[in-house]
Amino acid sequence: MQDILFYIFAALTILPAVALVFSRKSVNSAMLMILSFIGTAALFALLQAYLLAVLQVVVYVGAVIVLFLFIAMLVGAGSPKLAKRDFRNMALASGVFVLLSLFGIAAIAKTGVGTDALPVSPASSAANFGMILFTKYQLAFEITGFLLLAAMVGVIFISKRPDSGDTTTEAE
Amino acid sequence: MLTQAAETFRSLAPNGVDWSSIAPEIALGVWALYVLLREAFRKPGSRGAATFTTIFLLLFSLLCVRNAFAIPAGASASFFGGMIEQSRTTELLRAFFLFSGFLTTLLGGTLLKKQGVPQAEFDVLILLATAGLMLLAQVRDFILLFVALETMSISMYVLVAYIRHSASSLEAGIKYLTQSGLSSALLLAGIALLFGAAGNTALPGACADPFSFRELRVFIFLNQGNAFVLGGAALVLCGLFFKIAAVPFQIWVGDVYQGAPTPVTAYLGVASKAAGFVLLVNVVTGPLLPLRGVLLPLLSAVAILTILFGNLAALGQQNVKRLMGLSGIAHAGYLLMGVCAAMALNVDWPIVAVYFYLFTYLLASYAIFGVMSVLSGEDDSAQTLNDYAGLMKRDSFLGGILAVSLGSLAGIPPMAGFVAKLFLFIAAFTAHLYWLAAVGLFGVVVSIYYYFNWMRVAVFVPCKTEDEVEAGTLKAAPIASGFWLRTVLTTLALITVCLGFWQGFLAL
Repeated sequence: MQDILFYIFAALTILPAVALVFSRKSVNSAMLMILSFIGTAALFALLQAYLLAVLQVVVYVGAVIVLFLFIAMLVGAGSPKLAKRDFRNMALASGVFVLLSLFGIAAIAKTGVGTDALPVSPASSAANFGMILFTKYQLAFEITGFLLLAAMVGVIFISKRPDSGDTTTEAE
Repeated sequence: MLTQAAETFRSLAPNGVDWSSIAPEIALGVWALYVLLREAFRKPGSRGAATFTTIFLLLFSLLCVRNAFAIPAGASASFFGGMIEQSRTTELLRAFFLFSGFLTTLLGGTLLKKQGVPQAEFDVLILLATAGLMLLAQVRDFILLFVALETMSISMYVLVAYIRHSASSLEAGIKYLTQSGLSSALLLAGIALLFGAAGNTALPGACADPFSFRELRVFIFLNQGNAFVLGGAALVLCGLFFKIAAVPFQIWVGDVYQGAPTPVTAYLGVASKAAGFVLLVNVVTGPLLPLRGVLLPLLSAVAILTILFGNLAALGQQNVKRLMGLSGIAHAGYLLMGVCAAMALNVDWPIVAVYFYLFTYLLASYAIFGVMSVLSGEDDSAQTLNDYAGLMKRDSFLGGILAVSLGSLAGIPPMAGFVAKLFLFIAAFTAHLYWLAAVGLFGVVVSIYYYFNWMRVAVFVPCKTEDEVEAGTLKAAPIASGFWLRTVLTTLALITVCLGFWQGFLAL
């Protein structure tokens, strides 16, 4: 049962992701991304990482994709003129990807993974997660705050209209 | 109640939580917040905090150098449960990054005024990026590594696209964003593979903390043939190769270096590349050292390709920023040679040679980029070699700085660059990496051509307006540059010459 579910959810993750890459419309891409994220969330749930599954749905499906859609609409849903598909490059890239994948699979098949992973007790309850985040990884957590600060300053700076950029020096 | 909570929290915290150990990084973060707030509440017409930021970075850099020599050589201390390790080397690297931050804000002051863009956000982002780089020098844990690396990368995305009205700057920003995003994804996938393998309790030597360098090293030693370990190691290296712009992850260099504002180009080429090398050294001589047998041929091949690509691509360049970028790829190749030697010999002195080379590279590169930002017109991405024609006659001071620095990059004897290159070649020979050293020598010879061509243009080719000057119709325009910038550029050139004669402090 678990195996069958795994394959279903894996297909739900990968197929929309592939379709996303080939889609020519930004709104469609965002929608396909939702599907892919839901598949990932289901895989997390299958691994008993329930907190991650919930976070995946709430943060990515709920917030990030909505932002993507907002941007897509702000920029203009009317499809911009896209360059023609370059089939030669696409074939080349796919070829390289397939070759690398085959190489990886062959390597794993030859040496073997060693052993199957042993199941571990679900360490993903919110309490455990928070405990580790705020004790062991507190430094990384604090740095993330500054990372977001840099991102925020950057977004505000870049999206500010250029003509209003000089007001700081010229306004009297 | 509160004290009890504080006690409980302290008992839960990992060993060695000592926030004072990262006081310089905290100070940089706080200063960045101060600059932002000051800009927000600044009265129109009053001065910003830019000058203070520059002085602040310089003072901190000197302080770190002083601290470094207070630490006995060879001693090291761990903090935050082993995530951070400090020694004399990391302290000097901190000073290195602070110093390049100082130079970047200094050049920024010159260039941004010309372009008519505000400086406060520039300084904030440089401060945050520098803090991230300083942490990178000390990390011994993959989680912290990734977070600190991303802090730097995100600041750099914005800085590269900082000149909002310049199409080439925006293009560079987009290109850097997508390529760097891809490389971060590769790095993260590699870390995840290593984490997954090392956390598998069914394998020998499974780690309790699979992110820690120390534990991973033991695990990898016991599982050298594991496909996940090998794949993870390869992907981690791919992510780092992007940062140092090694072949085949060098394709972004030309456009990004050309489009980014000159001070940011310098920061990318020196500080960001140095951080990549610090990480590479820490990773290949740390957790990945047991994979030496596989990684040494790989790294050597990458080094050979990098040296060849960088030098041959720089050969026909007319745009000076592209020239610096592409020849920077070649320098990354020479540095990789040192890393290979350190791996092969498993001793420390080639690493010292690598860091020394990075320092001489900083001196020469920033001096050249400084001259570039003084000379640049409104569009600083379009400078070509022709703009340097007759520089020696127009302004012999800037010409002299340029000549010394180019000589150092090319590796001409009295300059520091020569000694630094010599150390790397000695390292490669000692490690019996003869092919690598041969290709390196070939590369150096090729590089002399394009560096000297630049020098020739600056010294011998007459300036375009010279005829008119002689005819008395036009006065040669004096090249405006601030007193402090000139002082700093002189200092850089002087250190370059002095280090060529005296390297006693290295004590290889």
